[in-house]
Amino acid sequence: MHGYGIYLLKRFAQFVLVVFIGISLTFFITHLTPIDPVDRMVAGMTTFGQSDPEAVEAMREALRALYGTGAPLLDQYFEYWGRMLVFDFGPSLSSFPTPVSQLIGRALPWTFGLLATCTLIAWVLGNLLGGLAGYYRNNLALKTFGVVAMGFHPIPHYIIAFLLLILFGYLWPILPISGGASQQVERGLNLPFVLSVLKHSVLPGLAIILISIGSWFMGMRALVSNIVTEDYVVYAELGGVSRRRIMRSYVMRNAIAPQVTGLAMSMSGFYNAAIIIEYVFSYPGLGRLLIAGVYAGDYGLVLGVTAISIVAVSAAVFLIDVLYPLFDPRVQLS
Amino acid sequence: MKLARLLVPLAAALFLSTAVHAQDASPPPRNQTLIVENPQGTIPNADSFNLWLPGLRGVSTGLHQLGMDTFWYIDPDHGLDGVWDNSLAAEPPIYNEDFTEMTVKLRQGIYWSDGVEFTADDVVFTTETHLNTDGLLRSSSYQLNVESVEAPDPYTVVFHLKRPNSRFHALFTVRWNAAWIMPRHVFEGQDPLQFDFNPPVTLGAYKLHSYDPNGQWFTWEKREDWERTTIARFGEPGPQYVTYVDPGPPDRRVIAQMNHELDIIHDVSPEGMFTLAKDSPSSIAWFDGFPYAHPDPTLPALIFNHQLEKFKSADVRWALALAIDIKAVSMASYRGAATISAIQIPPTGTHPQYYHEPLTEWLTSFELDTGQQVIRPYDPTMGQQIADMLRPTMGDEIPTDPQQIAASFGMGWWKQDLEAAAQLLEKAGFTRRDGEWYMPNGERFSIRIMVEGDGRPVMTRAGTMVAQQWRQFGIDATAENAQAAFFPRRESGDFEVCISWSVETWGGHPDLSFFLDSWHSDFVAAPGEIQPPRNWQRWSSPELDAIIEQIREVPFDDPRGVELGQEFVKLTVREMPTIPLMSYNVFTVMDETYWTGYPTAADPYTNPVPNWANSRYMMVRLRPTQP
Repeated sequence: MHGYGIYLLKRFAQFVLVVFIGISLTFFITHLTPIDPVDRMVAGMTTFGQSDPEAVEAMREALRALYGTGAPLLDQYFEYWGRMLVFDFGPSLSSFPTPVSQLIGRALPWTFGLLATCTLIAWVLGNLLGGLAGYYRNNLALKTFGVVAMGFHPIPHYIIAFLLLILFGYLWPILPISGGASQQVERGLNLPFVLSVLKHSVLPGLAIILISIGSWFMGMRALVSNIVTEDYVVYAELGGVSRRRIMRSYVMRNAIAPQVTGLAMSMSGFYNAAIIIEYVFSYPGLGRLLIAGVYAGDYGLVLGVTAISIVAVSAAVFLIDVLYPLFDPRVQLS
Repeated sequence: MKLARLLVPLAAALFLSTAVHAQDASPPPRNQTLIVENPQGTIPNADSFNLWLPGLRGVSTGLHQLGMDTFWYIDPDHGLDGVWDNSLAAEPPIYNEDFTEMTVKLRQGIYWSDGVEFTADDVVFTTETHLNTDGLLRSSSYQLNVESVEAPDPYTVVFHLKRPNSRFHALFTVRWNAAWIMPRHVFEGQDPLQFDFNPPVTLGAYKLHSYDPNGQWFTWEKREDWERTTIARFGEPGPQYVTYVDPGPPDRRVIAQMNHELDIIHDVSPEGMFTLAKDSPSSIAWFDGFPYAHPDPTLPALIFNHQLEKFKSADVRWALALAIDIKAVSMASYRGAATISAIQIPPTGTHPQYYHEPLTEWLTSFELDTGQQVIRPYDPTMGQQIADMLRPTMGDEIPTDPQQIAASFGMGWWKQDLEAAAQLLEKAGFTRRDGEWYMPNGERFSIRIMVEGDGRPVMTRAGTMVAQQWRQFGIDATAENAQAAFFPRRESGDFEVCISWSVETWGGHPDLSFFLDSWHSDFVAAPGEIQPPRNWQRWSSPELDAIIEQIREVPFDDPRGVELGQEFVKLTVREMPTIPLMSYNVFTVMDETYWTGYPTAADPYTNPVPNWANSRYMMVRLRPTQP
């Protein structure tokens, strides 16, 4: 137990360090880009018909005072950390005075719901089918699935998303291609709305699952193919242990540990893919919010979304690290 | 069980975040709903309807098209009853002799959506709120101009100005947008910088019905008392409901319209337009055939940075213009669907009748001395040549009537003349060795054309094509993709040549002050400093200053304004401060499955581009096809 505590502390320190470096880097990158949010805002507002040069200059000064963007960079950095610790990301500059945390709070459940569900489905299905394919190597259905999974694996996620869009949005229009739920159902905790949310998540979800299931399938199949030739598996088979038990307790349990590590390693990749997929399907999650922030030069919003993403992905990795010894009893913690 | 404990709060958060906000959340029936693209996309802070605040908040969500109102509108096309419409004002602005006072007579019998009458008190309150609050979208415009405001009676407002301004009314005149009037009874006692104005109390013929808290769609419902709004003078609005939606990237907009889920697409790529024209029989556009698109009163041009030595000579700028083949640029940018203009006026709305047509003779006889010969560079048949070039592939889609061709493809442009271009460069002291041009200081003549990239693909294609043509002429030209840094670089003068627009006009009205006043040399920033809009070229000219100063003293509707505008055109032809290319054509596509009566070139009663506030006039002409 003492060993586990040390392990936990080390991992936690690592988690804190990653979050600190990630957020600091993001802060300086966004603040050192040539895009000044006030100038970007002023440029946008001149499209509203504001063309009087003196008025525009006065507006620029007023906005600097309002947004507080004139302070020295280091002062802004320390102030940002002070606010970050209580999850106050300040106001969104492009949606002033709405707090960034409010915008994130609205988008986060969508991204979390879609990403967590689809990542888990892909991971469970990919590993399960990969394990079976590695163990039952002559099964035709599993072989076919392997070929299909390998075919999808190298295709970029935006191409998959676009293909799904054309297939189910135009050629065979049976699924919604935009948004998180239909406007035609009353929103709230009712069955039609729940079904609508599920229906709208099918295509973006399928895009995430299709691009990730292949790697889990192939990885697990390769691992299991090695394990089935181990002496203890052959001995168990010769000893008359049922194949189902061998599969579950002897093979899969040993093969799953590297896949858990793989899940932790690939979390950020899935998040990146989700941003593109959300954009393609107009899904109302963090990805769209981030893109809107980038286009508006709203570094308060970009920082907020990025900080949440860094914390979320690092926390997921931390959680998996913490749970790892429970999956693999061979890990020595002392 | 543990899983359930985790999932239940998450599900609750999801539903909380999606709970619809509305006065009446029942979904509108499709056959009574006009579905329109909101080009602003998904609105992050969907709950805020305070459009007097700064920022890029939801405006084209129907809020400024259907909910707001102000004194006057100028239609970028021809208008329902002329281009000028007295909306909240009962008549045009009344100035005193020296333009230091503007009186507005208000229309009577207009009511806010909550039943309170609109009066001069609302105008006074709006003005004083802006005078007393720094940081609102138009605070600085009010503060710069208005000394005080008063309401001698409930239907009259008098603005006392700090200095003479014959165009003060432009603040309250909608081109795309304008200063909207606040409801005093709603804003009084609120902090205007914090108030979210939700639900919005409207002056327009619609009120908010419901909206997606994630900002993807906003639905407006026709007011029961629509007759007590200004638009009622033109009849009852057709759609009972109007939904503004973010349909996603261009390919998705095309699919959505083919599935009849999107009645008006704001803009698509030329290729998307051609797909709809071919495969969606119910889709129509501004022009019945090629080039389909609606020309905006905006003029994309090659903008030189005049603070760089290499572009100081008009001979150099003219040489670069003559090195361009506009037909190839038209093909590269719009696949031929461009409306070209040789002068600094967009060929749209009523401008051709005020500028392009009257100046054709002058342009045709305009002479340019290259140092070795005198040429007449203007080719009045260029629009015709583009039409002829497209006819073999587009067939009957291409009009044959010369007037239609001029309206669709533009009139003339400058002939590509590489020999004259070379002579002009030599006249400016440039030399050519082994086919490559060198500047008078001996350095290679290089030009970087800054383009916007993915954000404006049509202009990016045009800039790339021009770079190729200049390179073929022997200049070391490249197109530079600035992406999101485009605007800050354009404004700080961190470019050599960029493709953008510094000319934006009213479209329907010939007055040029909307953009031209900002071209005065008083406003040119020092190199490296931020340039106030819109003189991105940073061109200073005493002759231009004289024209601008005369326009400031001429009343808005005075015919002398057009004469001064024509003088501006002639000056810019001689000087070529930027190379005008074409109007910014917008591929607005309208589906007639559920609605008919859209504005088109054959019936140009208003601008079809649905993010313009003027598009409200469309509502009174639209009628359902499936009652």
